[in-house]
Amino acid sequence: MTSVLADYFPVLVFGVLAVIIAGAMLGSSLLFGHQKPYAEKVSAYECGFEAFDDARHRFDVRFYLVAILFIIFDLEVAFLFPWAVSLSRIGLFGFLSMMGFLGILTVGFIYEWCKGALDWD
Amino acid sequence: MNWTLALPEIVLALCGLAILVFGVVQKKGQPFLSCSMLTIGAFVLTAFLVVVSPDGTGYNHIFVNDSFARFMKLLSLAGGALATMLTVGYARELKVERFEFPVLLLFSTLGTMMMASSGNLMTLFIGLELSSLAIYILCAFARDDVRGAEAGLKYFVLGSLASGLLLYGSALVYGFAGTMEYGAIQTALSATSAVPMGLMIGIVFMLAGLTFKLSAVPFHMWTPDVYQGAPTPVTAFMAGAPKIAAFALLLRVMAGPFGHVAPQWQILIEAISIVSMLFGSLAAIPQTDIKRLMAYSSIGHMGYALMGLSAGTEEGMRGTLVYLTTYLLMNVGAFAVIIAMRRKGRAVTGIADLAGLGRTDPGLATAMAIFMFSMAGAPPLAGFFGKLMVFYAAINAHLFGLAAVGVVSSVIGAYYYVRIIKVMFFDEAAAPLDRRPLSLSFVSVGMGIATAGFLIVLGPVSTAAQAAAQALFR
Repeated sequence: MTSVLADYFPVLVFGVLAVIIAGAMLGSSLLFGHQKPYAEKVSAYECGFEAFDDARHRFDVRFYLVAILFIIFDLEVAFLFPWAVSLSRIGLFGFLSMMGFLGILTVGFIYEWCKGALDWD
Repeated sequence: MNWTLALPEIVLALCGLAILVFGVVQKKGQPFLSCSMLTIGAFVLTAFLVVVSPDGTGYNHIFVNDSFARFMKLLSLAGGALATMLTVGYARELKVERFEFPVLLLFSTLGTMMMASSGNLMTLFIGLELSSLAIYILCAFARDDVRGAEAGLKYFVLGSLASGLLLYGSALVYGFAGTMEYGAIQTALSATSAVPMGLMIGIVFMLAGLTFKLSAVPFHMWTPDVYQGAPTPVTAFMAGAPKIAAFALLLRVMAGPFGHVAPQWQILIEAISIVSMLFGSLAAIPQTDIKRLMAYSSIGHMGYALMGLSAGTEEGMRGTLVYLTTYLLMNVGAFAVIIAMRRKGRAVTGIADLAGLGRTDPGLATAMAIFMFSMAGAPPLAGFFGKLMVFYAAINAHLFGLAAVGVVSSVIGAYYYVRIIKVMFFDEAAAPLDRRPLSLSFVSVGMGIATAGFLIVLGPVSTAAQAAAQALFR
Protein backbone atom coordinates (compact mmCIF):
# COMPACT_ATOMS: atom_id res chain seq x y z
CA MET A 1 0.00 0.00 0.00
CA THR A 2 2.72 2.49 1.01
CA SER A 3 4.65 1.81 -2.20
CA VAL A 4 1.55 2.61 -4.28
CA LEU A 5 1.03 5.83 -2.36
CA ALA A 6 4.71 6.71 -2.73
CA ASP A 7 4.34 6.42 -6.51
CA TYR A 8 1.69 9.10 -6.40
CA PHE A 9 3.81 11.50 -4.30
CA PRO A 10 4.87 13.61 -7.35
CA VAL A 11 1.19 14.12 -8.15
CA LEU A 12 0.60 15.45 -4.65
CA VAL A 13 3.60 17.79 -4.96
CA PHE A 14 2.30 18.98 -8.32
CA GLY A 15 -1.15 19.65 -6.89
CA VAL A 16 0.19 21.61 -3.92
CA LEU A 17 2.49 23.69 -6.15
CA ALA A 18 -0.37 24.46 -8.52
CA VAL A 19 -2.56 25.70 -5.68
CA ILE A 20 0.25 27.83 -4.22
CA ILE A 21 1.22 29.46 -7.52
CA ALA A 22 -2.35 30.14 -8.62
CA GLY A 23 -3.28 31.44 -5.18
CA ALA A 24 -0.21 33.72 -5.10
CA MET A 25 -1.02 35.21 -8.52
CA LEU A 26 -4.67 35.90 -7.82
CA GLY A 27 -4.13 36.91 -4.21
CA SER A 28 -1.27 39.36 -4.91
CA SER A 29 -3.23 41.10 -7.68
CA LEU A 30 -6.14 41.41 -5.28
CA LEU A 31 -3.93 42.76 -2.48
CA PHE A 32 -1.49 45.07 -4.30
CA GLY A 33 -3.35 46.11 -7.46
CA HIS A 34 -5.41 49.31 -7.70
CA GLN A 35 -9.07 48.39 -8.03
CA LYS A 36 -11.05 51.18 -9.69
CA PRO A 37 -13.92 49.61 -11.63
CA TYR A 38 -16.18 51.78 -13.81
CA ALA A 39 -18.72 50.92 -16.48
CA GLU A 40 -16.35 51.05 -19.46
CA LYS A 41 -13.73 48.94 -17.74
CA VAL A 42 -15.98 46.05 -16.72
CA SER A 43 -17.86 45.88 -20.05
CA ALA A 44 -17.29 43.02 -22.50
CA TYR A 45 -14.16 43.36 -24.60
CA GLU A 46 -12.19 41.51 -27.26
CA CYS A 47 -15.30 40.32 -29.10
CA GLY A 48 -16.16 43.53 -30.85
CA PHE A 49 -19.57 44.50 -29.63
CA GLU A 50 -22.12 43.94 -26.90
CA ALA A 51 -24.13 40.70 -27.00
CA PHE A 52 -27.63 41.29 -28.49
CA ASP A 53 -29.27 38.48 -26.60
CA ASP A 54 -28.84 35.73 -24.05
CA ALA A 55 -27.20 32.65 -25.59
CA ARG A 56 -29.45 30.34 -23.59
CA HIS A 57 -32.66 30.65 -25.54
CA ARG A 58 -35.02 27.90 -26.64
CA PHE A 59 -34.61 26.01 -29.87
CA ASP A 60 -36.49 23.20 -31.56
CA VAL A 61 -36.11 19.86 -29.76
CA ARG A 62 -35.78 18.13 -33.14
CA PHE A 63 -32.23 19.47 -33.41
CA TYR A 64 -31.31 16.89 -30.79
CA LEU A 65 -32.16 14.07 -33.19
CA VAL A 66 -30.08 15.70 -35.92
CA ALA A 67 -27.20 16.09 -33.46
CA ILE A 68 -27.36 12.44 -32.40
CA LEU A 69 -27.48 11.19 -35.99
CA PHE A 70 -24.57 13.46 -36.83
CA ILE A 71 -22.50 12.04 -33.96
CA ILE A 72 -23.15 8.45 -35.09
CA PHE A 73 -21.83 9.09 -38.59
CA ASP A 74 -19.07 11.36 -37.30
CA LEU A 75 -17.76 8.52 -35.14
CA GLU A 76 -17.96 6.14 -38.07
CA VAL A 77 -15.52 8.36 -39.96
CA ALA A 78 -13.29 8.52 -36.88
CA PHE A 79 -13.08 4.73 -36.99
CA LEU A 80 -12.47 4.67 -40.73
CA PHE A 81 -9.26 6.74 -40.62
CA PRO A 82 -7.08 4.37 -38.54
CA TRP A 83 -8.54 1.45 -40.49
CA ALA A 84 -7.62 3.06 -43.80
CA VAL A 85 -3.99 3.76 -42.89
CA SER A 86 -3.41 0.27 -41.45
CA LEU A 87 -5.29 -1.59 -44.19
CA SER A 88 -2.12 -2.99 -45.74
CA ARG A 89 -1.22 -4.75 -42.50
CA ILE A 90 -4.55 -6.03 -41.16
CA GLY A 91 -5.32 -8.16 -44.20
CA LEU A 92 -8.60 -9.57 -45.43
CA PHE A 93 -9.99 -10.12 -41.91
CA GLY A 94 -9.51 -6.48 -41.02
CA PHE A 95 -11.11 -5.42 -44.27
CA LEU A 96 -14.13 -7.66 -43.73
CA SER A 97 -14.48 -6.52 -40.10
CA MET A 98 -14.90 -2.94 -41.23
CA MET A 99 -17.32 -4.03 -43.94
CA GLY A 100 -19.37 -5.75 -41.22
CA PHE A 101 -19.29 -2.57 -39.15
CA LEU A 102 -20.40 -0.49 -42.12
CA GLY A 103 -23.14 -3.02 -42.85
CA ILE A 104 -24.52 -2.66 -39.32
CA LEU A 105 -24.41 1.12 -39.69
CA THR A 106 -26.26 0.86 -42.99
CA VAL A 107 -29.03 -1.11 -41.31
CA GLY A 108 -29.20 1.66 -38.71
CA PHE A 109 -29.41 4.21 -41.50
CA ILE A 110 -32.22 2.30 -43.24
CA TYR A 111 -34.04 2.15 -39.90
CA GLU A 112 -33.82 5.87 -39.22
CA TRP A 113 -34.79 6.70 -42.81
CA CYS A 114 -37.88 4.47 -42.77
CA LYS A 115 -38.82 5.73 -39.29
CA GLY A 116 -38.83 9.26 -40.70
CA ALA A 117 -36.07 10.55 -38.45
CA LEU A 118 -34.60 12.45 -41.40
CA ASP A 119 -37.83 14.36 -42.16
CA TRP A 120 -38.24 17.68 -40.38
CA ASP A 121 -42.05 17.52 -40.32
CA MET B 1 -8.43 -17.85 -38.03
CA ASN B 2 -11.18 -20.06 -36.66
CA TRP B 3 -14.03 -17.60 -37.18
CA THR B 4 -16.77 -20.26 -37.06
CA LEU B 5 -16.37 -20.33 -33.25
CA ALA B 6 -18.63 -17.31 -33.00
CA LEU B 7 -21.12 -18.62 -35.55
CA PRO B 8 -24.08 -18.63 -33.09
CA GLU B 9 -23.43 -14.97 -32.21
CA ILE B 10 -22.94 -13.97 -35.85
CA VAL B 11 -26.15 -15.72 -36.89
CA LEU B 12 -28.10 -14.15 -34.03
CA ALA B 13 -26.76 -10.69 -34.88
CA LEU B 14 -27.66 -11.11 -38.57
CA CYS B 15 -31.14 -12.33 -37.60
CA GLY B 16 -31.55 -9.26 -35.38
CA LEU B 17 -30.57 -6.90 -38.18
CA ALA B 18 -32.83 -8.73 -40.64
CA ILE B 19 -35.80 -8.59 -38.25
CA LEU B 20 -35.19 -4.87 -37.68
CA VAL B 21 -35.22 -4.17 -41.42
CA PHE B 22 -38.23 -6.46 -41.93
CA GLY B 23 -40.12 -4.60 -39.21
CA VAL B 24 -39.31 -1.12 -40.40
CA VAL B 25 -40.22 -1.61 -44.07
CA GLN B 26 -43.76 -2.80 -43.21
CA LYS B 27 -46.07 -0.11 -44.49
CA LYS B 28 -49.13 -0.50 -42.29
CA GLY B 29 -49.62 -1.44 -38.66
CA GLN B 30 -47.10 -2.71 -36.17
CA PRO B 31 -45.56 -6.06 -37.17
CA PHE B 32 -45.07 -6.78 -33.46
CA LEU B 33 -46.39 -10.31 -33.48
CA SER B 34 -44.51 -11.47 -36.58
CA CYS B 35 -41.27 -9.90 -35.31
CA SER B 36 -41.72 -11.60 -31.92
CA MET B 37 -42.23 -14.94 -33.62
CA LEU B 38 -39.17 -14.38 -35.81
CA THR B 39 -37.15 -13.47 -32.71
CA ILE B 40 -38.18 -16.66 -30.93
CA GLY B 41 -37.26 -18.56 -34.10
CA ALA B 42 -33.84 -16.86 -34.12
CA PHE B 43 -33.31 -17.86 -30.48
CA VAL B 44 -34.15 -21.49 -31.25
CA LEU B 45 -31.85 -21.55 -34.28
CA THR B 46 -29.02 -20.01 -32.26
CA ALA B 47 -29.55 -22.48 -29.42
CA PHE B 48 -29.12 -25.30 -31.93
CA LEU B 49 -25.92 -23.71 -33.26
CA VAL B 50 -24.62 -23.27 -29.69
CA VAL B 51 -25.15 -26.96 -28.97
CA VAL B 52 -23.15 -28.05 -32.02
CA SER B 53 -20.47 -25.33 -31.77
CA PRO B 54 -16.89 -26.59 -31.34
CA ASP B 55 -14.53 -25.90 -28.43
CA GLY B 56 -11.59 -23.56 -28.78
CA THR B 57 -10.39 -19.98 -28.70
CA GLY B 58 -10.41 -17.63 -31.63
CA TYR B 59 -10.03 -14.05 -32.79
CA ASN B 60 -6.60 -13.66 -31.14
CA HIS B 61 -7.78 -15.22 -27.87
CA ILE B 62 -10.53 -12.69 -27.25
CA PHE B 63 -13.30 -15.23 -27.78
CA VAL B 64 -13.55 -18.55 -25.95
CA ASN B 65 -15.99 -21.36 -26.54
CA ASP B 66 -16.10 -24.25 -24.07
CA SER B 67 -18.75 -26.25 -22.27
CA PHE B 68 -19.07 -23.48 -19.66
CA ALA B 69 -19.82 -20.89 -22.35
CA ARG B 70 -22.32 -23.24 -23.99
CA PHE B 71 -24.13 -23.88 -20.69
CA MET B 72 -24.44 -20.17 -19.95
CA LYS B 73 -25.46 -19.30 -23.51
CA LEU B 74 -28.25 -21.86 -23.49
CA LEU B 75 -29.55 -20.44 -20.20
CA SER B 76 -29.40 -16.88 -21.61
CA LEU B 77 -31.17 -17.89 -24.80
CA ALA B 78 -33.86 -19.66 -22.80
CA GLY B 79 -34.29 -16.51 -20.70
CA GLY B 80 -34.54 -14.32 -23.80
CA ALA B 81 -37.00 -16.61 -25.60
CA LEU B 82 -39.25 -16.97 -22.55
CA ALA B 83 -39.27 -13.21 -21.95
CA THR B 84 -40.29 -12.68 -25.60
CA MET B 85 -43.09 -15.19 -25.14
CA LEU B 86 -44.26 -13.38 -22.00
CA THR B 87 -44.58 -10.14 -23.98
CA VAL B 88 -46.88 -11.48 -26.67
CA GLY B 89 -50.06 -11.80 -24.60
CA TYR B 90 -50.49 -8.33 -23.18
CA ALA B 91 -48.23 -6.29 -25.47
CA ARG B 92 -50.81 -3.59 -26.20
CA GLU B 93 -51.93 -3.26 -22.59
CA LEU B 94 -48.32 -3.05 -21.38
CA LYS B 95 -47.63 -0.34 -24.03
CA VAL B 96 -44.80 -2.33 -25.53
CA GLU B 97 -46.47 -3.26 -28.80
CA ARG B 98 -43.73 -2.03 -31.12
CA PHE B 99 -41.55 -4.32 -33.18
CA GLU B 100 -38.36 -2.82 -31.71
CA PHE B 101 -39.15 -4.56 -28.43
CA PRO B 102 -38.29 -8.17 -29.45
CA VAL B 103 -35.31 -6.85 -31.46
CA LEU B 104 -33.92 -5.13 -28.36
CA LEU B 105 -34.45 -8.30 -26.33
CA LEU B 106 -32.54 -10.16 -29.03
CA PHE B 107 -29.59 -7.75 -28.96
CA SER B 108 -29.48 -7.81 -25.19
CA THR B 109 -29.35 -11.61 -25.29
CA LEU B 110 -26.59 -11.37 -27.89
CA GLY B 111 -24.62 -9.26 -25.41
CA THR B 112 -25.11 -11.85 -22.68
CA MET B 113 -23.78 -14.54 -25.04
CA MET B 114 -20.71 -12.42 -25.75
CA MET B 115 -20.18 -12.09 -22.00
CA ALA B 116 -20.29 -15.87 -21.55
CA SER B 117 -17.62 -16.30 -24.23
CA SER B 118 -15.29 -13.48 -23.23
CA GLY B 119 -11.59 -14.32 -23.21
CA ASN B 120 -10.36 -10.78 -22.79
CA LEU B 121 -11.28 -7.81 -20.60
CA MET B 122 -12.30 -5.93 -23.74
CA THR B 123 -14.81 -8.57 -24.89
CA LEU B 124 -16.11 -8.61 -21.33
CA PHE B 125 -16.85 -4.90 -21.46
CA ILE B 126 -18.31 -4.89 -24.99
CA GLY B 127 -20.64 -7.78 -24.17
CA LEU B 128 -21.73 -6.18 -20.92
CA GLU B 129 -22.48 -2.86 -22.60
CA LEU B 130 -24.32 -4.45 -25.53
CA SER B 131 -26.53 -6.24 -23.07
CA SER B 132 -26.99 -3.25 -20.73
CA LEU B 133 -27.66 -0.55 -23.34
CA ALA B 134 -30.56 -2.57 -24.76
CA ILE B 135 -31.98 -3.06 -21.27
CA TYR B 136 -31.79 0.68 -20.48
CA ILE B 137 -34.08 1.29 -23.46
CA LEU B 138 -36.34 -1.65 -22.61
CA CYS B 139 -36.87 -0.33 -19.06
CA ALA B 140 -38.18 2.97 -20.37
CA PHE B 141 -40.02 1.38 -23.29
CA ALA B 142 -43.44 2.56 -22.08
CA ARG B 143 -42.35 6.18 -22.57
CA ASP B 144 -45.50 7.90 -21.35
CA ASP B 145 -45.49 5.94 -18.12
CA VAL B 146 -43.84 7.98 -15.33
CA ARG B 147 -42.71 4.92 -13.39
CA GLY B 148 -41.20 3.30 -16.48
CA ALA B 149 -39.30 6.45 -17.43
CA GLU B 150 -38.01 6.76 -13.88
CA ALA B 151 -36.91 3.14 -13.89
CA GLY B 152 -35.09 3.58 -17.19
CA LEU B 153 -33.32 6.75 -16.10
CA LYS B 154 -32.36 5.33 -12.72
CA TYR B 155 -31.01 2.15 -14.21
CA PHE B 156 -29.15 4.09 -16.88
CA VAL B 157 -27.41 6.47 -14.47
CA LEU B 158 -26.48 3.80 -11.92
CA GLY B 159 -25.62 1.25 -14.61
CA SER B 160 -23.26 3.70 -16.30
CA LEU B 161 -21.58 4.31 -12.97
CA ALA B 162 -21.12 0.56 -12.52
CA SER B 163 -19.74 0.22 -16.05
CA GLY B 164 -17.32 3.03 -15.24
CA LEU B 165 -16.16 1.21 -12.10
CA LEU B 166 -15.70 -1.98 -14.07
CA LEU B 167 -13.74 -0.19 -16.76
CA TYR B 168 -11.53 1.52 -14.20
CA GLY B 169 -10.89 -1.84 -12.56
CA SER B 170 -9.96 -3.43 -15.89
CA ALA B 171 -7.62 -0.51 -16.60
CA LEU B 172 -5.87 -1.10 -13.28
CA VAL B 173 -5.62 -4.83 -13.94
CA TYR B 174 -4.21 -4.10 -17.38
CA GLY B 175 -1.74 -1.66 -15.89
CA PHE B 176 -0.41 -4.18 -13.40
CA ALA B 177 -0.61 -7.40 -15.42
CA GLY B 178 0.39 -5.79 -18.73
CA THR B 179 -2.24 -7.67 -20.70
CA MET B 180 -5.99 -7.94 -21.10
CA GLU B 181 -6.15 -11.61 -22.03
CA TYR B 182 -7.42 -13.94 -19.32
CA GLY B 183 -4.84 -16.61 -20.06
CA ALA B 184 -1.92 -14.17 -20.04
CA ILE B 185 -3.14 -12.52 -16.81
CA GLN B 186 -3.26 -15.96 -15.23
CA THR B 187 0.32 -16.69 -16.31
CA ALA B 188 1.50 -13.29 -15.09
CA LEU B 189 -0.14 -13.76 -11.71
CA SER B 190 1.11 -17.30 -11.17
CA ALA B 191 4.67 -16.14 -11.92
CA THR B 192 4.78 -13.76 -8.95
CA SER B 193 4.21 -14.65 -5.33
CA ALA B 194 3.42 -11.12 -4.13
CA VAL B 195 0.17 -9.64 -5.40
CA PRO B 196 0.53 -5.92 -6.17
CA MET B 197 -1.85 -3.70 -4.21
CA GLY B 198 -3.03 -1.91 -7.33
CA LEU B 199 -4.05 -5.19 -8.92
CA MET B 200 -6.15 -6.02 -5.87
CA ILE B 201 -7.82 -2.60 -6.14
CA GLY B 202 -8.50 -3.34 -9.81
CA ILE B 203 -10.07 -6.70 -8.96
CA VAL B 204 -12.24 -5.07 -6.29
CA PHE B 205 -13.44 -2.44 -8.77
CA MET B 206 -14.29 -5.12 -11.31
CA LEU B 207 -16.14 -7.05 -8.61
CA ALA B 208 -18.12 -3.92 -7.75
CA GLY B 209 -19.12 -3.42 -11.38
CA LEU B 210 -20.18 -7.04 -11.84
CA THR B 211 -22.04 -7.32 -8.53
CA PHE B 212 -23.98 -4.22 -9.53
CA LYS B 213 -25.29 -6.11 -12.55
CA LEU B 214 -26.10 -9.02 -10.25
CA SER B 215 -27.84 -6.61 -7.85
CA ALA B 216 -26.03 -8.16 -4.90
CA VAL B 217 -25.77 -6.12 -1.67
CA PRO B 218 -24.24 -3.45 -1.37
CA PHE B 219 -24.95 -2.59 -5.00
CA HIS B 220 -28.63 -3.45 -4.91
CA MET B 221 -30.28 -0.04 -4.36
CA TRP B 222 -31.59 0.27 -7.91
CA THR B 223 -33.27 -3.14 -7.99
CA PRO B 224 -36.69 -2.59 -6.29
CA ASP B 225 -37.47 0.67 -8.10
CA VAL B 226 -36.36 -0.58 -11.50
CA TYR B 227 -38.14 -3.92 -11.12
CA GLN B 228 -41.33 -2.16 -10.12
CA GLY B 229 -41.23 0.53 -12.79
CA ALA B 230 -40.13 -1.44 -15.84
CA PRO B 231 -42.74 -3.29 -17.95
CA THR B 232 -43.20 -6.71 -16.32
CA PRO B 233 -41.81 -8.80 -19.23
CA VAL B 234 -38.68 -6.63 -19.10
CA THR B 235 -38.42 -7.27 -15.37
CA ALA B 236 -38.73 -10.98 -16.07
CA PHE B 237 -35.93 -10.70 -18.61
CA MET B 238 -33.69 -8.57 -16.36
CA ALA B 239 -34.02 -11.05 -13.55
CA GLY B 240 -32.93 -13.84 -15.90
CA ALA B 241 -30.46 -13.60 -18.78
CA PRO B 242 -28.34 -10.56 -17.74
CA LYS B 243 -27.82 -11.92 -14.24
CA ILE B 244 -26.84 -15.30 -15.60
CA ALA B 245 -24.37 -13.61 -17.93
CA ALA B 246 -22.95 -11.46 -15.11
CA PHE B 247 -22.46 -14.68 -13.19
CA ALA B 248 -20.78 -16.19 -16.23
CA LEU B 249 -18.30 -13.31 -16.23
CA LEU B 250 -17.78 -13.46 -12.50
CA LEU B 251 -17.14 -17.21 -12.52
CA ARG B 252 -14.87 -17.05 -15.53
CA VAL B 253 -12.82 -14.10 -14.34
CA MET B 254 -12.53 -15.26 -10.76
CA ALA B 255 -11.76 -18.90 -11.52
CA GLY B 256 -9.49 -18.17 -14.50
CA PRO B 257 -7.20 -15.10 -14.47
CA PHE B 258 -7.67 -14.31 -10.77
CA GLY B 259 -7.75 -17.92 -9.64
CA HIS B 260 -4.24 -17.68 -8.19
CA VAL B 261 -5.18 -14.85 -5.86
CA ALA B 262 -8.34 -16.65 -4.70
CA PRO B 263 -7.59 -16.22 -0.96
CA GLN B 264 -7.63 -12.46 -1.52
CA TRP B 265 -11.11 -12.18 -3.05
CA GLN B 266 -12.83 -15.18 -1.51
CA ILE B 267 -13.55 -13.36 1.73
CA LEU B 268 -15.12 -10.49 -0.24
CA ILE B 269 -17.45 -12.81 -2.16
CA GLU B 270 -18.32 -14.53 1.08
CA ALA B 271 -19.24 -11.20 2.72
CA ILE B 272 -21.31 -10.11 -0.29
CA SER B 273 -23.06 -13.47 -0.27
CA ILE B 274 -23.90 -13.24 3.46
CA VAL B 275 -25.28 -9.69 3.36
CA SER B 276 -27.23 -10.38 0.14
CA MET B 277 -28.93 -13.43 1.62
CA LEU B 278 -29.80 -11.66 4.87
CA PHE B 279 -30.90 -8.41 3.23
CA GLY B 280 -32.92 -10.23 0.57
CA SER B 281 -34.89 -12.18 3.12
CA LEU B 282 -35.34 -9.44 5.76
CA ALA B 283 -36.19 -6.51 3.47
CA ALA B 284 -38.77 -8.55 1.55
CA ILE B 285 -40.95 -9.08 4.64
CA PRO B 286 -42.74 -5.67 4.75
CA GLN B 287 -43.33 -5.51 0.97
CA THR B 288 -46.88 -5.27 -0.33
CA ASP B 289 -46.11 -5.05 -4.05
CA ILE B 290 -45.29 -8.37 -5.63
CA LYS B 291 -42.82 -6.93 -8.15
CA ARG B 292 -40.85 -5.28 -5.35
CA LEU B 293 -41.02 -8.53 -3.43
CA MET B 294 -39.53 -10.36 -6.41
CA ALA B 295 -36.76 -7.76 -6.54
CA TYR B 296 -35.76 -8.45 -2.93
CA SER B 297 -36.16 -12.16 -3.52
CA SER B 298 -33.75 -11.95 -6.47
CA ILE B 299 -31.20 -10.12 -4.28
CA GLY B 300 -31.41 -13.03 -1.86
CA HIS B 301 -31.12 -15.60 -4.63
CA MET B 302 -27.96 -13.93 -5.93
CA GLY B 303 -26.55 -14.33 -2.44
CA TYR B 304 -27.19 -18.08 -2.50
CA ALA B 305 -25.70 -18.42 -5.97
CA LEU B 306 -22.60 -16.49 -4.85
CA MET B 307 -22.19 -19.03 -2.05
CA GLY B 308 -20.99 -21.56 -4.61
CA LEU B 309 -18.43 -19.10 -5.97
CA SER B 310 -17.11 -18.26 -2.52
CA ALA B 311 -16.35 -21.93 -1.99
CA GLY B 312 -13.95 -21.45 -4.91
CA THR B 313 -14.05 -25.11 -5.87
CA GLU B 314 -15.26 -26.98 -8.92
CA GLU B 315 -18.08 -28.38 -6.82
CA GLY B 316 -19.07 -24.85 -5.80
CA MET B 317 -19.15 -23.64 -9.40
CA ARG B 318 -21.31 -26.61 -10.33
CA GLY B 319 -23.67 -25.72 -7.50
CA THR B 320 -23.88 -22.12 -8.72
CA LEU B 321 -24.66 -23.25 -12.26
CA VAL B 322 -27.42 -25.61 -11.13
CA TYR B 323 -28.75 -22.87 -8.85
CA LEU B 324 -28.92 -20.42 -11.74
CA THR B 325 -30.78 -22.98 -13.89
CA THR B 326 -33.43 -23.55 -11.22
CA TYR B 327 -33.62 -19.79 -10.54
CA LEU B 328 -34.33 -19.09 -14.21
CA LEU B 329 -37.14 -21.66 -14.32
CA MET B 330 -39.01 -20.54 -11.22
CA ASN B 331 -38.40 -16.85 -11.83
CA VAL B 332 -39.82 -16.84 -15.36
CA GLY B 333 -42.78 -18.88 -14.12
CA ALA B 334 -43.50 -16.48 -11.25
CA PHE B 335 -43.33 -13.50 -13.61
CA ALA B 336 -45.73 -15.22 -16.03
CA VAL B 337 -48.22 -15.37 -13.14
CA ILE B 338 -47.55 -11.70 -12.25
CA ILE B 339 -48.20 -10.61 -15.85
CA ALA B 340 -51.46 -12.58 -15.78
CA MET B 341 -52.59 -10.53 -12.74
CA ARG B 342 -55.02 -8.16 -14.45
CA ARG B 343 -58.43 -7.10 -13.23
CA LYS B 344 -60.92 -5.29 -15.48
CA GLY B 345 -58.17 -4.58 -18.01
CA ARG B 346 -55.79 -3.02 -15.50
CA ALA B 347 -52.62 -4.58 -14.16
CA VAL B 348 -52.68 -5.21 -10.40
CA THR B 349 -49.44 -5.92 -8.55
CA GLY B 350 -50.40 -5.91 -4.87
CA ILE B 351 -49.91 -9.13 -2.93
CA ALA B 352 -53.44 -8.60 -1.57
CA ASP B 353 -54.76 -8.80 -5.14
CA LEU B 354 -53.84 -12.48 -5.14
CA ALA B 355 -56.35 -13.13 -2.36
CA GLY B 356 -58.52 -16.15 -2.97
CA LEU B 357 -56.86 -17.03 -6.25
CA GLY B 358 -56.98 -20.64 -5.10
CA ARG B 359 -60.77 -20.58 -5.53
CA THR B 360 -61.18 -18.24 -8.50
CA ASP B 361 -58.34 -19.66 -10.60
CA PRO B 362 -56.97 -22.89 -9.11
CA GLY B 363 -54.63 -23.62 -12.03
CA LEU B 364 -52.77 -20.32 -11.81
CA ALA B 365 -52.70 -20.48 -8.00
CA THR B 366 -51.20 -23.97 -8.08
CA ALA B 367 -48.49 -22.83 -10.51
CA MET B 368 -47.68 -19.82 -8.28
CA ALA B 369 -47.62 -22.07 -5.20
CA ILE B 370 -45.10 -24.35 -6.95
CA PHE B 371 -42.84 -21.38 -7.76
CA MET B 372 -43.08 -19.95 -4.24
CA PHE B 373 -42.38 -23.31 -2.56
CA SER B 374 -39.48 -23.82 -4.97
CA MET B 375 -38.03 -20.38 -4.16
CA ALA B 376 -38.35 -21.15 -0.47
CA GLY B 377 -36.35 -24.31 -1.18
CA ALA B 378 -38.91 -26.98 -0.33
CA PRO B 379 -38.09 -30.47 -1.62
CA PRO B 380 -38.61 -32.03 -4.15
CA LEU B 381 -38.98 -28.83 -6.21
CA ALA B 382 -36.23 -27.30 -8.34
CA GLY B 383 -35.12 -24.64 -5.84
CA PHE B 384 -34.29 -27.28 -3.25
CA PHE B 385 -31.63 -28.94 -5.42
CA GLY B 386 -29.96 -25.63 -6.24
CA LYS B 387 -29.77 -24.73 -2.55
CA LEU B 388 -28.66 -28.22 -1.60
CA MET B 389 -25.72 -28.14 -4.01
CA VAL B 390 -24.42 -24.72 -2.97
CA PHE B 391 -24.79 -25.54 0.75
CA TYR B 392 -23.00 -28.84 0.20
CA ALA B 393 -20.13 -27.09 -1.61
CA ALA B 394 -19.88 -24.44 1.13
CA ILE B 395 -19.70 -27.08 3.87
CA ASN B 396 -17.09 -29.09 1.94
CA ALA B 397 -15.00 -25.92 1.64
CA HIS B 398 -15.30 -25.50 5.45
CA LEU B 399 -17.36 -22.33 5.17
CA PHE B 400 -19.64 -23.32 8.04
CA GLY B 401 -20.57 -19.76 8.98
CA LEU B 402 -21.66 -19.01 5.43
CA ALA B 403 -23.76 -22.19 5.25
CA ALA B 404 -25.35 -21.39 8.63
CA VAL B 405 -26.32 -17.88 7.50
CA GLY B 406 -27.70 -19.44 4.31
CA VAL B 407 -29.91 -21.82 6.24
CA VAL B 408 -31.14 -19.10 8.60
CA SER B 409 -31.96 -16.65 5.83
CA SER B 410 -33.68 -19.32 3.80
CA VAL B 411 -35.90 -20.04 6.82
CA ILE B 412 -36.68 -16.31 7.12
CA GLY B 413 -37.31 -16.18 3.36
CA ALA B 414 -39.73 -19.08 3.59
CA TYR B 415 -42.00 -16.80 5.66
CA TYR B 416 -42.84 -14.41 2.87
CA TYR B 417 -43.01 -17.06 0.17
CA VAL B 418 -45.44 -19.09 2.24
CA ARG B 419 -47.39 -15.93 3.09
CA ILE B 420 -48.21 -15.52 -0.62
CA ILE B 421 -49.51 -19.09 -0.69
CA LYS B 422 -51.58 -18.37 2.41
CA VAL B 423 -53.05 -15.25 0.78
CA MET B 424 -53.92 -17.22 -2.34
CA PHE B 425 -55.56 -20.19 -0.68
CA PHE B 426 -56.89 -19.06 2.69
CA ASP B 427 -57.84 -15.39 2.35
CA GLU B 428 -61.25 -13.99 1.45
CA ALA B 429 -61.59 -14.19 -2.34
CA ALA B 430 -61.20 -10.91 -4.23
CA ALA B 431 -62.79 -10.35 -7.65
CA PRO B 432 -61.53 -12.92 -10.20
CA LEU B 433 -58.69 -12.01 -12.55
CA ASP B 434 -59.24 -11.41 -16.27
CA ARG B 435 -59.00 -14.28 -18.72
CA ARG B 436 -55.38 -14.64 -19.68
CA PRO B 437 -53.93 -15.23 -23.15
CA LEU B 438 -52.76 -18.68 -24.12
CA SER B 439 -49.06 -17.74 -24.17
CA LEU B 440 -49.04 -16.89 -20.45
CA SER B 441 -50.79 -20.13 -19.54
CA PHE B 442 -48.29 -21.98 -21.70
CA VAL B 443 -45.25 -20.40 -20.01
CA SER B 444 -46.59 -20.71 -16.47
CA VAL B 445 -47.68 -24.33 -16.94
CA GLY B 446 -44.43 -25.23 -18.70
CA MET B 447 -42.27 -23.65 -16.01
CA GLY B 448 -44.50 -25.19 -13.32
CA ILE B 449 -43.94 -28.67 -14.72
CA ALA B 450 -40.20 -28.04 -15.11
CA THR B 451 -39.94 -26.75 -11.53
CA ALA B 452 -42.00 -29.54 -10.03
CA GLY B 453 -40.34 -32.31 -12.04
CA PHE B 454 -36.79 -30.99 -11.88
CA LEU B 455 -35.67 -34.22 -10.22
CA ILE B 456 -36.09 -35.99 -13.58
CA VAL B 457 -33.70 -33.65 -15.41
CA LEU B 458 -31.40 -33.14 -12.42
CA GLY B 459 -29.00 -35.81 -13.69
CA PRO B 460 -28.35 -34.32 -17.15
CA VAL B 461 -28.32 -30.73 -15.82
CA SER B 462 -25.80 -31.47 -13.12
CA THR B 463 -23.64 -33.48 -15.55
CA ALA B 464 -23.63 -30.51 -17.93
CA ALA B 465 -22.88 -28.17 -15.02
CA GLN B 466 -20.05 -30.47 -13.92
CA ALA B 467 -18.52 -30.37 -17.41
CA ALA B 468 -18.91 -26.60 -17.48
CA ALA B 469 -17.24 -26.18 -14.08
CA GLN B 470 -14.38 -28.45 -15.18
CA ALA B 471 -13.85 -26.30 -18.27
CA LEU B 472 -13.41 -23.29 -15.99
CA PHE B 473 -10.60 -24.83 -14.01
CA ARG B 474 -8.74 -26.32 -16.94
